[in-house]
Amino acid sequence: MEADSTGANMAEKAEADVEMTENPFEPYIESLRQQVEDQDPVFLIGVIVALAVVIITCVFLKYFLTSKTVRTAVLLVGLCDSGKTLLFSRLLSGKFKRTQTSITDSSAPYKAKNDRGSTWTLIDLPGHDSLRSQYLEKFKLAARAIVFVVDSAIFQKEVRDVAEFLYVLLTDTVISRNAPALVVACNKQDITMAKSAKLIQQQLEKELNTLRVTRSAALSSQDGSVGGSLYLGKKGKDFEFSQLPMKVEFLECSARGSKGEDGNADIEGLENSLAKL
Amino acid sequence: MLDFFTIFSKGGIVLWCFQGAGVTESFTGPVNALIRSVILQERSGNNSFTHEALSLKYKLDNEFELIFVVGFQKILTLTYVDKFIDDVQLHFRDRYKNELEQKGALKLLNNSFEFENDFKMLLREAEDSSKARSPAPMRSFKESEKSQKTVKSMIETKGGDKGKEQGGKKNKNTKKEAPAVEPAKGDQGKASSSGQKMAENGNQGLTADEIMQKKREEFFRKRMVGTTEKPSKSPKPQKPREKQMRVWDMGGNSTKDLDYSERNGDGSTNGGEQNQEAQIDLGMQPSSMQGDLPSVDYESSEGEEMEDEDEEVVVSETSKTSSKKGGGFGGMFGMLKGLVGSKSLSQEDMEPVLEKMRDHLIAKNVAADIASQLCDSVAKKLEGKVMGTFTTVASTVKQALQDSLVQILQPKRRVDILRDVMEAQSQRRPFVITFCGVNGVGKSTNLAKISYWLIENGFTVLIAACDTFRAGAVEQLRTHQRRLNSLHPPEKHGGRPVVQLYEKGYGKDAAGIAMEAIAYARNQAFDVVLVDTAGRMQDNAPLMTALAKLIAVNMPDLVLFVGEALVGNEAVDQLVKFNQALADHSMSDKPRLIDGIVLTKFDTIDDKVGAAISMTYITGQPIVFVGTGQTYNDLRSLNARAVVSALMKA
Repeated sequence: MEADSTGANMAEKAEADVEMTENPFEPYIESLRQQVEDQDPVFLIGVIVALAVVIITCVFLKYFLTSKTVRTAVLLVGLCDSGKTLLFSRLLSGKFKRTQTSITDSSAPYKAKNDRGSTWTLIDLPGHDSLRSQYLEKFKLAARAIVFVVDSAIFQKEVRDVAEFLYVLLTDTVISRNAPALVVACNKQDITMAKSAKLIQQQLEKELNTLRVTRSAALSSQDGSVGGSLYLGKKGKDFEFSQLPMKVEFLECSARGSKGEDGNADIEGLENSLAKL
Repeated sequence: MLDFFTIFSKGGIVLWCFQGAGVTESFTGPVNALIRSVILQERSGNNSFTHEALSLKYKLDNEFELIFVVGFQKILTLTYVDKFIDDVQLHFRDRYKNELEQKGALKLLNNSFEFENDFKMLLREAEDSSKARSPAPMRSFKESEKSQKTVKSMIETKGGDKGKEQGGKKNKNTKKEAPAVEPAKGDQGKASSSGQKMAENGNQGLTADEIMQKKREEFFRKRMVGTTEKPSKSPKPQKPREKQMRVWDMGGNSTKDLDYSERNGDGSTNGGEQNQEAQIDLGMQPSSMQGDLPSVDYESSEGEEMEDEDEEVVVSETSKTSSKKGGGFGGMFGMLKGLVGSKSLSQEDMEPVLEKMRDHLIAKNVAADIASQLCDSVAKKLEGKVMGTFTTVASTVKQALQDSLVQILQPKRRVDILRDVMEAQSQRRPFVITFCGVNGVGKSTNLAKISYWLIENGFTVLIAACDTFRAGAVEQLRTHQRRLNSLHPPEKHGGRPVVQLYEKGYGKDAAGIAMEAIAYARNQAFDVVLVDTAGRMQDNAPLMTALAKLIAVNMPDLVLFVGEALVGNEAVDQLVKFNQALADHSMSDKPRLIDGIVLTKFDTIDDKVGAAISMTYITGQPIVFVGTGQTYNDLRSLNARAVVSALMKA
C-alpha cells in the first residue's frame, strides 16, 4: 500500500531527522508536524490502533502469567471414600456434614491457626478413579501442600491402590519439580481396626519399592510417550520417604471424631501441620 | 411412600435430606452407586436407576451445582415423582437463591437449609394430585349422550347435515363429548358425515370440479383443526339401522360397466358412458391439460402444506431470534452480546452444536447409539449452566464433551498387571488370564505379545491351547512358544523354559483343558497362565454357553475381551451379548464378567479411534492393552488424552 510505504519512508525520515538534527530543532519539527498532518488520517489511526493493541496484549500477558505462578492452594487428595470431603468441612467450619461421592472439586479460603494468620485456599478434589487425574492436572500447578488422606481402617485391602495413587502423585513432573509439602493424613482413626501412621508408612514404603520396578517396566502408551519416568528415591537402596525431595509427614486424624457426629473432630495434628506451612 | 430424598452439591456435601418413615438403612450407599454408575459413566441420558430393591430418580441442577435424588421401592410405581422432583428443584432454588449464589464452598457449610416444611407441603400436593387423577367413574345412562338423542335423529336421512342436529340438551358435565353440534363450519365431527356425503355425491354423479372442491375443503378443514379434538366417541346420529351396502368414493354405481363382453362390438352408448365415467373417476377434463403445464403451486393442497411448513419455520425462527438477547441491532452486536455476560445454556442453544458433535463422533467410528447417548448426557450436564464471559456455546459444549470422553476412558480401577501377577506369585498360585472375542480379531497374536512382555519382566508363562476348533490353532501357539523360547533361552532364566504350551489336540472340551492347564501350572509353579479360546460369533448360543462355562468353572483372574479397533457399531452388539452370556450361564450370584478390553489392530486406523470409546462405554471396563502391529514389540497401553485429542480433532 502506498500509504504504508510512504509512512515507512516518513518514519525513517523522521528518525533520520531527529538523529541528525539536534541543533536546528524547530524547522525540522515544523516540517515533521506538517508532514504528519498531510498524511492520510486513516493511516494514523491504524498506527495508533496497532500501538494500543500491543500495549493491551502486554498487559494481558503479564496478568495471565503472574496469576499462574502463585501457589496458595492446599489440595486434599486420596482414594474414594477416604473422608476428604468431611475433613474439608471440619477444617473450614468444624461442623459435621453428611457427604456423598464428590464429582467436582470444592474450594474455599482457609485461615491457618498460626500467629501469622496466613490464608490458603483449601481445595477438595474428587477421589474417584476416573476423575482423579483430570482434577490433579488442573490444580497441581497451584499446589503449595498436598494432604493425602488415607482410610486407615481398610488400608490393608487397599494398599496397592493407595500406593499406586501415591506413586503417580510423586512421579508427576510438575509436583516433583515444585516439591510441595506432603502430609499423609491417616484418617478414620476412630474405628478400632485402624492402623497406626507408622505402620502405614512402613507398608507404603514397601509397596512403593515394588511399584518402582513394575511401573518402570510398564508398557509405553500408543503414541510413544512414556509417562512419569522419574525414579523414586535412590537406586540400589530400598525406598524410603526421606529420600524424596519434598517434606513428607505422617499423622493420624479422625474427621468424624470419637464422639460421633456431634463431637469435634480430632484434627489438631492436621491443623498444626497446616499452620506450619 | 418415598424412601428418601437428598439434595447435595456436586462437591459432595449434603445440604438437606429426608428419610421416609420406617426406613432404617442409610441412603448413602445407593446414592453413591448412582453417582458412580450413572453420572460418572456418562449415562445421564435417562434419569432413573435401580439399585437392589430401590429405584432412584435424580435431577442435575447445573447452575448451582446441585443434585436432587429421590429413592423409592422398585415395586411401587409412583407417577408423580418426575414432576415432584422438578417442583422441589424450582422451589429450593427460589428459596435459597441468595445463599447459593455466593462463590466458594463456604456457603454450603455455613448455611443450614431448613427445607422440611416446604418439602412436606410439596409432597402432600404431589400425592394429592396423583390421587385426583384416578380413573373417572363410569357414567350412568342418564349422563350419556344416547339418552339425549331423540328418536327422530337416530333415523338416518339422505342428507348428511340434517342428521347432525341433535335435539335435546347438551350435557355440559362430561368432558369427553366433542362439541360437534355446531352445524356449519370446520368442525371435526363433520368428517364422519362428509365421508357419507362423498359417497352420496359419488352416487349423484357430481362433476369432477365439485368433487375436487369438496376434497380440498375436507383437507383444508383437517389441517386447520389439527389434533385438538378427536371425536373418539362422537355421536353418530346416523347409526344405520340395518346393514348398508358399502359404497366406495371412487366406485361406479353399477357393475355393468365392468362387463366388457359386449364392448367389442358396441362402441356408442356404452363406450360413451364408460368414457364419461372414466373422466369422472379420474377427475380429468379432456381440455384441462391444454397449453402450458401449470406450475406446482396450482395444486392447492400441496400449496397449503408448503405454506404451513413455511409458517412453522418462520415462527420458530422468530422465536429463536427473539430469545437471543441481542436480537435487534444487527448480527455483530448480537454476537458480541452473546459472548459477554452471563447467559445460561438451554437445550435449544446446545442442540445445533450437539448435532454437529454427534455427527463428528459417528464419523470417527463411534457407535451411533453411544454417540447419541453421550451427547444426551453432556446436554443434561450442561443444561442451565451459566457460561463465563468470552465463552461461546460451542466451546463450552466441546470442552464438556472432551472432559466426558477423558473420564470415560480413564480406568475405574487400578490397572497394573505386573503388580497383580506378583501378588499371585506371593500367594503361590498362577495368575490366569483368559482371552475371548469373535473370530479373527487377533487373540492368538496378542496372546503371544503379552507373553513376550511378561517374559521380559521375568515371569514364566504357560499357554493353554483351549482353541480346539480352528485348524492350526495349536500349531500356531506352538510356533510362538518356540520363537519365544529361542529369544529367551532357558539357560538365561534359571534352566527352565520360560514358555510352555499345554495342549490336548483338537476336538476336546475347552473348559476341561483349561482346568487341567491351571492345575499343571500350580504344580509346576508357573507364574501366569494364558488361556486362548476359539473365536465365536456373539449370536452363536451354544458356543457362548461353552465360553461361559469355561469362565465360570475356572474362575480366571482376568477375563479380557479382544476387540479390533476397526469395528464400528458391531462393538456394541458384541460386548453386550458377550456380557449377557457370561452373566446368564454362571451359577454364582456374582458372575465373572469381562474385566478388561484388548484393543487390537490400532495401527490400521489413523485417527478414527471411536471404537475405544464404544467399548469402554458399554462395559465400563478399562482398555488394558492396545495392539499396534504384528511383531512382539507392538504392545502398548492406552493414553486417554491422546485418544481423545485424536477424536476431537476436526
